[in-house]
Amino acid sequence: MANARQIVKRRKAVTNIRKITKTMQLIATARFQQAYNRATATKPYTQKITQLVEELSQAAAGQVDHPLMRKNPEASKDIVLVLSSSRGLCGGYNASVLRSTMGHLNSHTERENELHVVGKKGIAYFKFLRREVERSITDIDDRPRFEQVEPIATDYMRRYEAGEIANVYVSYMRFISTGKQIPEVMHLLPLEKDESAEGDQATGASRDKTGIAAVEYDFSPAPKQLLKNLLPQTVKVRLYQCFTDAAVSEQVARMVAMKAATDAAGDMIKSLTQQYNRARQTQITMELLDIVGGAEALK
Amino acid sequence: MIATDTNVGKVTQVIGSTLDAEFPEGRLPALYNALIVNVEQMVGTEKKSEKLTCEVASHLGGGRVRAVALGSTDGLKRGAEIVDTGQSVSVPVGNAVLGRVFNLIGDPIDGRGPLDTQDRRPIHREPAQFSELTPKTEQLITGIKVIDLLAPFVRGGKTGLFGGAGLGKTVIIQEMIARIAREHSGYSVFAGVGERTREGNDLWLEMQDAEFKDSEGNVKKVIEHTAMVFGQMNEPPGARLRVALSGLTMAEYFRDESGADTMLFIDNIFRFSQAGSEVSALLGRMPSAVGYQPTLGTEMGELQERITSTSQGAVTSVQAVYVPADDLTDPAPATAFTHLDAFIVLARSISEKGIYPAIDPLASSSRILDPQYVGERHYAIAQRVQVILQRYRDLQDIIAILGVEELSEEDKLTVARARRIERFLSQPFYVAEQFIGIPGNYTQLEDTIRSFEEICEGKHDDLPEQAFMYVGSVEEAVEKAKKLQE
Repeated sequence: MANARQIVKRRKAVTNIRKITKTMQLIATARFQQAYNRATATKPYTQKITQLVEELSQAAAGQVDHPLMRKNPEASKDIVLVLSSSRGLCGGYNASVLRSTMGHLNSHTERENELHVVGKKGIAYFKFLRREVERSITDIDDRPRFEQVEPIATDYMRRYEAGEIANVYVSYMRFISTGKQIPEVMHLLPLEKDESAEGDQATGASRDKTGIAAVEYDFSPAPKQLLKNLLPQTVKVRLYQCFTDAAVSEQVARMVAMKAATDAAGDMIKSLTQQYNRARQTQITMELLDIVGGAEALK
Repeated sequence: MIATDTNVGKVTQVIGSTLDAEFPEGRLPALYNALIVNVEQMVGTEKKSEKLTCEVASHLGGGRVRAVALGSTDGLKRGAEIVDTGQSVSVPVGNAVLGRVFNLIGDPIDGRGPLDTQDRRPIHREPAQFSELTPKTEQLITGIKVIDLLAPFVRGGKTGLFGGAGLGKTVIIQEMIARIAREHSGYSVFAGVGERTREGNDLWLEMQDAEFKDSEGNVKKVIEHTAMVFGQMNEPPGARLRVALSGLTMAEYFRDESGADTMLFIDNIFRFSQAGSEVSALLGRMPSAVGYQPTLGTEMGELQERITSTSQGAVTSVQAVYVPADDLTDPAPATAFTHLDAFIVLARSISEKGIYPAIDPLASSSRILDPQYVGERHYAIAQRVQVILQRYRDLQDIIAILGVEELSEEDKLTVARARRIERFLSQPFYVAEQFIGIPGNYTQLEDTIRSFEEICEGKHDDLPEQAFMYVGSVEEAVEKAKKLQE
């Protein structure tokens, strides 16, 4: 049995940790609300614009040939953008995003994968694995703004149109509900005409509608012109949606992790207190025995 | 039978297992002298007379001595005649004791008739002279990975097995007998001190079956090279206090006379201290810390200092030490600690994980775990293993509160390896084969070192943790992983 003083020291440390985790939990809860509002506010717009573009491009099939919809089979590179968090204490959030990223990287080896990583945790992970990270982005925090995301999307589109890259993937944690988030690798570019299963679950809700939507469109301005404006916007919005989803998922993960940590610390304090009391009682009994024994022997 | 010059006294007082006797003035028996008293008792309708041996412990003045009974005092009466033998308790020594089982006063208790020897030695002797000591620093290979790597035994040295109740001290002692005594060419002495009588009996029967090959290739029974002395739990404290000395005296004789390497197994040295404490109170000494006898350190020192290797021969001893309430700072185990070359500490937290032997890799150590004795490579790998395990232990609180996901990548890797190492420290025992159904395993030292090196380097990070349980070298773990996958 460890001595009483050591146990007290440990209990103090655990109590401090619990204070921190408890506070983190409250902060995460508050931030979650904000992030949640932001994510859900943009979602309908994202869905709608994605759906619209799909319908339009179907309707105008054959008439348009936009560079963002064309495949670049001769390009030698894929870009994989990983959205991780910059802060820890969010349980398995980063681990599951990075795990799904690694799964993707290991199954897509036919082209060189250019890694772009958002968040310190992801950067540290790839540094540990000694994998080269082409671009590290740390200035986007858990409240991403559209102006921050837009240049990234613009850059990707420029490079895609230049034929440098074959695909752009975004690996992030998709927010479905407070109780469910799944790590996902989304296929951002090229925008695919036919909805293949992979990566396009993001627009899954609109897929059914596309099936029925055999509406005749009258294009004005001409479809080419229209899509030229609309397609880049879709890419930006979809990318932004990934960022807001990731942000809200991070807060949820932190909330849950901190709740669990606070509970675990509470249990630990309880058992340490019990150990301490027992150690203290043992000590007292022992001293009493010594005194009484000594006094008795002196009689 | 009693000659005219015999010194006869009278029992004046009996308190538990101590008694006072009065002798004629000027003929007081010396300290440690054996006294013999006839105890008459009615058993049914028959009168039974038994000899009870006592040992003088202190002189009270006025011709009175206080003595410790080395057997049961049932039926002892005040006024009974008590005879001073003029010498201390002695036990038979020499080749005649091999294959036999004795009690502490040297009477055979295996029911195979009286002993055919006149050679006896008193159980109280001086420890070997300073100039005769030859501390050896050669490692004794046991084939148990955790011991060979982290707490190597010393040939001709003393090893203690510390552990609380039910952690497997006796199993390890028996395993050591199976591993070392079988391959060992010299003699072995086993002293059973205050442990279960059943275990002593098991051991005796097992040794009668066990065989080994001597240097000429003849198959011999282990028991033919072993003497056993028992003073188990049922015996009064006086017996438990002296039985270790009886065993030791036999071992000393083999060391001094035959020059062969001698093994001395003692199970359990704590019972020796405990018996001393029981007797101490009856002798009227003031209790000291935690109620132990004030002479705890002296008693332990007198015993331990005699277990030593001299220029004539080596005594290698393995001693089990019970740790009350799992508290290593308790005075009894703490006193034993200082005398040992290697200490193996058994931990409850490890036995709770189902890892046997439940040896604590961080608390166990050895004097010869030093590059000078075991070599640079062995030492470096032992250190690495300990660093990894220590880091894992440090992280344990964080893992308990925040979960393993919060750790940095490096720490995650350390934890994964530590968990594998922890499991790899388990090993099937020969003596446990009938319980766990896995045959015992002997791992060569070179295999042990290489296996741990590979695990530390991360060569086996891909194997499931379960594959490391109860295997020998790391190749067996790889093999087991394949089987697990099927």
